[in-house]
Amino acid sequence: MEGKLSSVAKHFKPSPIQELSHLAQKSNAINLAEGFPDFPAPLLLKSSAISAINSDFNQYRHVQGICDLLAKKVKIMHGLNVNPLTDIAICCGQSEAFAAAVFATIDKDDEVILFDPSYETYEACVTIARGVPVYVALDPPHWTLDPEKLRKSFTEKTKAVVLNSPQNPTGKVFSEDELELIAEECRTRNCFAITDEVYEHITFDNNKHISLASLPGMQERTIITSSLSKSFSVTGWRVGWAIAPPFIASAIRNIHVKITDSAPAPFQEAALTALRSPPEYFESLRRGYESKRDYVIKMLEGVGFKFQFKPQGAFFLFAELPEDCPLSDVEYVKKLIQKAGVVAVPGCGFFHTNLALKKSFQVDYSYQNRYIRFAFCKSNATLASAAQKLGSMRSLSLFTS
Amino acid sequence: MQIQCTWTCSELRLRPSTFLRFSKHLRKNIGCVGKRGRPNSFIAAMSSVTTTTDNEVASNQNGPTHDANPPLQIAKRLEKFKTTIFTQMSNLAIKHGAINLGQGFPNFDGPEFVKEAAIQAIKNGKNQYARGYGVPDFNSAIAERFKKDTGLVADPEKEITVTSGCTEAIAATILGLINPGDEVILFAPFYDSYEATLSMAGAKITGITLRPPDFSVPIEELKSKISKNTRAIMINTPHNPTGKMFTREELSTIASLCIENDVLVFSDEVYDKLAFEQDHISMASLPGMWERTVTMNSLGKTFSLTGWKIGWAIAPPHLTWGVRQAHAFLTFATSTPMQWAAATALRAPDSYYEELKRDYMAKKAILVEGLKAVGFKVFPSSGTYFVVVDHTPFGRANNDIEFCEYLIKEVGVVAIPTSVFYLNPEEGKNLVRFTFCKDEGTLRAAVERMKQKLLGK
Repeated sequence: MEGKLSSVAKHFKPSPIQELSHLAQKSNAINLAEGFPDFPAPLLLKSSAISAINSDFNQYRHVQGICDLLAKKVKIMHGLNVNPLTDIAICCGQSEAFAAAVFATIDKDDEVILFDPSYETYEACVTIARGVPVYVALDPPHWTLDPEKLRKSFTEKTKAVVLNSPQNPTGKVFSEDELELIAEECRTRNCFAITDEVYEHITFDNNKHISLASLPGMQERTIITSSLSKSFSVTGWRVGWAIAPPFIASAIRNIHVKITDSAPAPFQEAALTALRSPPEYFESLRRGYESKRDYVIKMLEGVGFKFQFKPQGAFFLFAELPEDCPLSDVEYVKKLIQKAGVVAVPGCGFFHTNLALKKSFQVDYSYQNRYIRFAFCKSNATLASAAQKLGSMRSLSLFTS
Repeated sequence: MQIQCTWTCSELRLRPSTFLRFSKHLRKNIGCVGKRGRPNSFIAAMSSVTTTTDNEVASNQNGPTHDANPPLQIAKRLEKFKTTIFTQMSNLAIKHGAINLGQGFPNFDGPEFVKEAAIQAIKNGKNQYARGYGVPDFNSAIAERFKKDTGLVADPEKEITVTSGCTEAIAATILGLINPGDEVILFAPFYDSYEATLSMAGAKITGITLRPPDFSVPIEELKSKISKNTRAIMINTPHNPTGKMFTREELSTIASLCIENDVLVFSDEVYDKLAFEQDHISMASLPGMWERTVTMNSLGKTFSLTGWKIGWAIAPPHLTWGVRQAHAFLTFATSTPMQWAAATALRAPDSYYEELKRDYMAKKAILVEGLKAVGFKVFPSSGTYFVVVDHTPFGRANNDIEFCEYLIKEVGVVAIPTSVFYLNPEEGKNLVRFTFCKDEGTLRAAVERMKQKLLGK
């Protein structure tokens, strides 16, 4: 009955991230692979959720207060005027908001531009919607956006651009100039933009998160997706949202209602507490992650990694293998698990070669096997353990078997 | 009576043009309506009703910054995803202070022991991503319960997938296993997410109508419509909205036709614990059916926690694979603390389920006696917490929607027009659905209002 699978389901392979996780679990390794915290969620939030359960907020619901708070937030952060009654759809996580946004806008054969490297799920959603993913490679080592590459990727079939900033896996925060390049293309070609801004509150040094929707002519064509998960360390609560012009938001809402019907009720209540957090909360979140970033950079430099690019946001380090290391990313990570007891994610899973562009630019894409993603959204104790394990392996060469 | 609304209606502004368009679409394009009915889509009704040809709406909503380009088009698949007529009902209900027997969720809360388990899970730090296809202990609990209910042994690791409610189980099953152009058979009336999601997957839908008084499966019609070209058949037992429960005979006939034509079965059994007049039978337990059936269920109805969004799909590995692929990209993972609590819930002793049934049967008696006394033609409902009645004895309306509007305005009670559950709305024009998942006080009050305003008129 294998033939009974839809062609779309047959297209997908198991996630390399999850497979390595199993290996890691078996060897009891320190997990710097998966992108979720191992420290507790804020106490105030947990109490709020508990109180909601006790107060019987347990049936299907839509908590309009979330929309009101989000409208205020995007006004303050980005100067956007959004109508909380019509422009916002609450979903089961940013995952569902993104899936619904894609289903709402992408038809068969529509092209969707994605930046490479990128989180694996975007392509999957586009493919399920029978759209065609088109990749624009960001140029290492600083993951810069080449205007020519961008321009050449657009065709009459391009329906949307997907933008994740701050970015997983690189930690890049798109600059205002880069955003303007993207905006210009979207405006002149009348395309949608679907953004994933889940790391919006995690930026470092002087980098500021700018929402693509805040650029001229962009609000009317942009769908912002985000969630509580990363900002509030509650990745398991599944409360996210899409913010878009009313006709799109209503389409997304209608799809969401058919896919899951409602986001978990008690956590919607708790979201009200989360979204009322004072600026000090976000400042401390930012600072905390920045110091973890610096710690892990030092730790990895200690075993031979060199960082030409320091993450500007999110909680991942996309580390390039030392020049003299003959191993591929996958081989290195396997060794890392077996010899050092630390897990990370081989970067190849985030890259997708764009064959058309490859021909015209004659670029060497072999760098796609040279990156490892380390997550630093872990407690200081975990990071210290990892440092210790890596430190004691320094004397042993990781490159011999 | 409690209406779980957290916004005030007076703040909503309806653009006149939007409203007119909405009314025009009322009868013609009812693809998806609040089946279980809730205020969620309320907001959607207040924004534009859009079709892909509705350029006007798009330009109205885009605000002052028009560019010379034609408005952006939303995807064609959204033809079946319009806003619901039920939102209009909800609005009317609130305006008239009507007692809501339309909404398919309880106005009482879930059991303390389950809520307590969720609270403990939150306190114990179970707040990060769960394994995509389910927290291991929960998958085990599902398998244990399934074995108790059906005698079937399902592997928690390979054959069970946890989803955000049964609604997502349905979406993941359809998107993971249906190809564009595949033929799928649906029994009308149906829970509206079936039709919407099937059209999103590009399926070709064949409808077979179940008719009063007993809504039995028309076997000859089924035989004529099923063929080797049929990919799947969707069944829902106990059935929303009619309360019908598929008999062993009906299931066996469907099973043999499926085996003969190599057809899959997607079985929505979300009301399986609300089986009153007969025993619930899972299609997967019939000979030859396990390997071709996806069985879907959830926590919400059985434990009165509909807002927690904990559901699951049980299927052999080759079908589970498809469900998991789609699920991974629809929601990625399901609410973690609630899964831990759900494991506790599913391990509840038999006494919990017996008491649940007794409570619901008492509620049903209040409603059914009341509806009969008032003059409705009431069709026997064997399961679920719904009852379908014929409103024509009152001669008060030309169709179900008109009757429901009348019922809200003049009598102060809400019911759901069933035409929205059919491929051809005409087939539902005599029938409306009431629910009895409300506390006894609410039910009695509703019956009282109907007796006062409908009797002897």
